[in-house]
Amino acid sequence: MQDEQAMVFVVDDDESVRESLESLIRSAGLRVAAFSSAREFLASPRDDVTSCLVLDLRLPGQNGLDLQKRMTELSIQIPIVFITGHGDIPTSVRAIKAGAVEFLTKPFRDQDLLDAIHQAIERHETVRQHQAEMAEMLHKYELLTPREREVMELVVSGLLNKQVAAELSVSNVTVKVHRRQVMQKMGAGSLAELVKMSEKLRTSPTRSL
Amino acid sequence: MLKKSSQSYRFWQSTALLLSGGAALGLLSFICFRLHVNSTTVGLLFLIVVVLVSLRASLLSAALVAIIAYFCLDYFFTAPLFTLGMNQALDYVAPIAYLLIAVVITRLMQRVRKFQEDQKRAEETLRKSQAELAHVRRVMTMGELAASIAHEINQPLSAIVNNGSACLRWLAGDAPNLLEVQEAARRIVRDGNRAAEVITRIRGFLRKTDTEKSRLDINQTIREIVTVIEREAVESGIEVRMDLAPDIPQVLGDRVQLQQVVLNLLMNGVEAMAPITERPRELLISTRKHETDRVLVTVRDSGMGIDLESLEKLFDAFYTTKPNGMGMGLAISRSIVEDHGGELWAVTNAGSGATFQFTLSQQR
Repeated sequence: MQDEQAMVFVVDDDESVRESLESLIRSAGLRVAAFSSAREFLASPRDDVTSCLVLDLRLPGQNGLDLQKRMTELSIQIPIVFITGHGDIPTSVRAIKAGAVEFLTKPFRDQDLLDAIHQAIERHETVRQHQAEMAEMLHKYELLTPREREVMELVVSGLLNKQVAAELSVSNVTVKVHRRQVMQKMGAGSLAELVKMSEKLRTSPTRSL
Repeated sequence: MLKKSSQSYRFWQSTALLLSGGAALGLLSFICFRLHVNSTTVGLLFLIVVVLVSLRASLLSAALVAIIAYFCLDYFFTAPLFTLGMNQALDYVAPIAYLLIAVVITRLMQRVRKFQEDQKRAEETLRKSQAELAHVRRVMTMGELAASIAHEINQPLSAIVNNGSACLRWLAGDAPNLLEVQEAARRIVRDGNRAAEVITRIRGFLRKTDTEKSRLDINQTIREIVTVIEREAVESGIEVRMDLAPDIPQVLGDRVQLQQVVLNLLMNGVEAMAPITERPRELLISTRKHETDRVLVTVRDSGMGIDLESLEKLFDAFYTTKPNGMGMGLAISRSIVEDHGGELWAVTNAGSGATFQFTLSQQR
C-alpha cells in the first residue's frame, strides 16, 4: 500500500521517548525520522512523499501547538498526531480544531498510536491526490488560449453557442471550434464535467477564473 | 468584648481627667489669688489647663472643665470680685475661647486616634494575609512538586511501554528481528534505571531541604494554622474550638510540616461536615500531655464518620473517598508524623464523626 514509502516524522525532546517511538513505528513497517525540536524539524529537508508527524505537545522553545500554527502558515499540510504527558481538555480541543488527527496521552497503547498514524497517512494521501489533480487541471488550463478561456467561461455559465457567438461577436462555427478545443484540452467528456472543473478551478487558492 | 472594655476605659479616663482638671483649676485659683496675679495671666494659665485636659478627655469632660475654668476666672479674678456676671471683655472672651478650644481639640484628637486605630488594623490585616499567603505558597509548592515528579517519571515510563510494545512486535511474525529486540530491551533497562534515579533524587531533595526541626510550642503552632482556616470554616457554618492544654512539654519538630499535618486534618474535618445539616458542625482541636514526655494532638469533627472498610485503607497513598481528592493528604501526614517519631491514627466517634490523633515527642 502507500504505507511502504510513507514517512513518519517524530518530534519529541525526550531522548528515551524519541528512541522508543522510532523503534515502535519501524516495527510497524514504516519509515521514521526523529527530531528533538520544532526548529530542527522545520530546517530538515523533507522528501515530497506521503507522511505524518507525531508531535510532542511540550517542547522547549516552540511548543507543539506553535509548530502546528507555523506549519499552517508555511502551508505544510502534513497531518499531526499529538502526544502529551498531561492531556488537558482545552489544549486537546485547540489542537483538534486546528486540524490534528489525534491527541494521545502518554503512556498510550501502541495500537492507538499506530491507528492514528495510519489515519493521518491516509488523510495526507487524500490531500496529496487532490493537490495532484488540482495541479494537473491548472496545467491544462494554462494551455488554453485567451479566446478559449473566454469561451469556456461563457459556456459553463450556461449560455448556448449562439449566445456565446453574439457575446463575443464571432460566428457560430468559430464558437463550436473553440468549444471542441476546450473540451479536448481540458480532457472533459461532457459539459457537466467541464462545469465541475471550472468550479474546482474557481475554488483553487492559486488561481481564479 | 474588647470594644466594650475599651469604651469603659475611655469613660473612666475622662472622668479622672475631669476631676483632676477641676482640682488643678481650684489649686491654681487659690495660688494666683494669694499671689495677686492679674486676670489676663490667670486666664492664660486656665487656658493651658483646658488644652491639656482636652488632649485626652472626652468632649463632655473637656467642656465641663472649660466651664469650671470660666466660673473660677469670673468669680475670683475679674472685677467686681466674688460675683458672676458679664462685666468685662474677658468675661465674654474667656468662655468662648475655652469652649472653642475644648471642642476643637477633642474633635481633632478623636480624628487622630481613629486614624491610628485604622492604621493598626490595616497592619494587622496585612500581617495576617501575608502569613496566609506564605502557607498557600507552601501548599502550592507541594502541588507543583507533585506535577513535576509526575512528568519526570511519566517520560521514562511511557518510553518503557513503547519499547515493550516494540519488542513484542519485533518478536512477532515468522522472522523475528532479534537485533531490534535486543536494542529495545536494552533501552527498557536504561529507562527503568532513569525512573528509579528520579525517585532517589526526589527522596534526597525532600530529606535535605524540607525538614528543619527545632523545639517548638505545639499550641502556638496550632493557633497559627487555625487562623488560616478560620474564615473558610465560618463560611461553611462550622464552629472551630480549641482546647489547648497549657502544661504540655515543647516538642522537637518542623513547624511547617506539622502545620501541614494539622491543616490537612482540619480541612478533612471541614469537608466531612459539609453535607451535615441535622446537627451542629463542630471542629475541635485539642492538645494533651501523653505518657510522660509526649504530646497528643486530637482533631475531632461531627461529620459523616468513617466506615470500617475505609478505616483500614485511610492512610494508603492514592486512597480517597472525595470526588476530587488525590488520596495523598493522609499518607503524607502519616509519613511526616512518623518522621517525627510519632504516630497518627483515626477512630470513629461514639456519637457522630471521626477523630484523628497523633503523638509527638520531645526528642526524635
